[in-house]
Amino acid sequence: MATGNYGTIRPADVSVEDVEILYSYTPNRELITSVELLSLDPAEVLIPVTTPNNTNEILGGLYTLKLPTSVFGSKGFYSIIIRPKEIRTTIQDCGVLIDNQDVKGLAFDMNQIPTELQNRFENGNLVGYRIEYLKEVTGTGQDKIQNLFRIITSNNRALPITQNQGNDNASQAYTFNDNSTTVFCTLTPSSAPSIKPNAVPFIGNPLQGVIITNTFFNPVMLEIEMVEYDDESLAYALYSNQTKSLDDGIYTIYNFGNQIYKQYNLFEVKDQFTGKPLYEVREQKFTIDPTKDFDDITNF
Amino acid sequence: MEYIRKKISLENYTIRSIPKSILITNAEGKTIIDESNPKYFYGKIPDYRVDSNGDFILNSFGQKILNTINIDLYITQDIDDMGLFTDKSFVPSNATLPFPPTNFNSFSYGRLAGAPLNFYLTGSNTLTGNTDDGYLNQVRSYRVDTNGNAIYVPFLNTSDDSKNLFNGVIGESLNKTIYKIGSNPIEVSQYQQGAISEINSGVEFTTYKKKYTKAIDEYGKNISFFKTEFKSNSGGWDINNESLSAIIKKEEYLGVVFKPEVKSVVFINRGVADIFERHAILSELKTTNDIDTNRGGKVRI
Repeated sequence: MATGNYGTIRPADVSVEDVEILYSYTPNRELITSVELLSLDPAEVLIPVTTPNNTNEILGGLYTLKLPTSVFGSKGFYSIIIRPKEIRTTIQDCGVLIDNQDVKGLAFDMNQIPTELQNRFENGNLVGYRIEYLKEVTGTGQDKIQNLFRIITSNNRALPITQNQGNDNASQAYTFNDNSTTVFCTLTPSSAPSIKPNAVPFIGNPLQGVIITNTFFNPVMLEIEMVEYDDESLAYALYSNQTKSLDDGIYTIYNFGNQIYKQYNLFEVKDQFTGKPLYEVREQKFTIDPTKDFDDITNF
Repeated sequence: MEYIRKKISLENYTIRSIPKSILITNAEGKTIIDESNPKYFYGKIPDYRVDSNGDFILNSFGQKILNTINIDLYITQDIDDMGLFTDKSFVPSNATLPFPPTNFNSFSYGRLAGAPLNFYLTGSNTLTGNTDDGYLNQVRSYRVDTNGNAIYVPFLNTSDDSKNLFNGVIGESLNKTIYKIGSNPIEVSQYQQGAISEINSGVEFTTYKKKYTKAIDEYGKNISFFKTEFKSNSGGWDINNESLSAIIKKEEYLGVVFKPEVKSVVFINRGVADIFERHAILSELKTTNDIDTNRGGKVRI
């Protein structure tokens, strides 16, 4: 016997069909109300990058997140969670293999799985998926059993067979059969430790709700702060072209493309009786005067 | 879960162009923007891409292109596992490789799928070389002749573990002394009785009495010493000392995490500062591992 560990970090080449994207928005950090999570369609917003010489081959690791400005166009904080897709179903049965009674596992009914996800339940496709459990009695607080998960080590279509154990307590066992719509999954850990052979780990109960999640990539959370100004826009005020119309007092700041970025009215506030200047005012102008186009002004 | 923070300026997506086509003259004869014009996007972030004329940019299918804020992400998958492994006999697949790949070296290839055991077997070989026997003190003699040369008793075992090891001279002549270090005593006994012609175990040294080896020491000084040759026979790897087995991981130990053991080659020489230092070190030895840790007056960290 030897102790060993192994591991690596690989660029994920997960299909967007196996991804789930949630987001929330708060205009500021002082919001008191609870966060509401909304969904985004990964097929529309998450685009995998392909290899340079083969557009049909995913590069792996690099994805472009295309956030629609119709949703993400407000100033504030957007939290985006990119996580493996969840499949929710119920355990059909817990049983053993008829030829190998030591191998315990869970049975799922493929007909309960949404059609577009049923191919995940074909033989061997669920290996590495994580199973989390929901409480069998809901409405008692937290519905999910926290800090409990199991990993699927194999899945195969299997047929339930009633076996007679010599008394009235007949229990079902499973035999592999590719024509069945029942899927038998083995999990880990599912065997008792040698130091306590009767302490069989919990793997679930019949009719218990479960959440089956792939482990194709590590979840990512992005906090995107949408701001009105950055270094570039502040540089407009310092270094870009500007005009001041002496006729009407309109002060215009242009961006580096000579497009009108901001306009201000410049005026003085004078004492109404003495005419003595009291203030010099720069007030932002929200109705843009298009005649202050920089190219028109300087094209003489 | 990886957490990424980004700050994005909405100004990058805000339209600042004012097409000439949306300018109108009002009743006062002043040029103003027709804000009701569908091409008016100034100061807005449109849902679809527009050009500087206020027209929607279309793709090759004639469809409007969604205006998006693009962020590149690098998504990874961690594969980590830790557990207890055990060797398990197995029946290899029938589809074994007929011959090894070109320049196959089992030490660099490691396990090769479909490779039978004979790929990993290596024949015996002999390692030879020259050395200075002045550094070898396993074979000694307390008696010297009138010329000051050591008097050896052939086949006298000077090993501290004489049951398992033989250190001693196996041949002595006017020209050379032949001795063995680390040999099998049974094999030496058989050699002494003439049952075998060569002792394969251990390292055989032959020191010549009339041949010298010239060398340069670490200070660049010319030195000379009696020429000493050594050779060691390796039995190689055969079916008696090598086998193929599968390494399996015991499922019940999945997730068993061990206390990390930090090993380092960094040493701190704590020296012997005063007469109590050695006693101070001894007081720190609580376990047998501590003896190893503090070996040689050094603390291994």
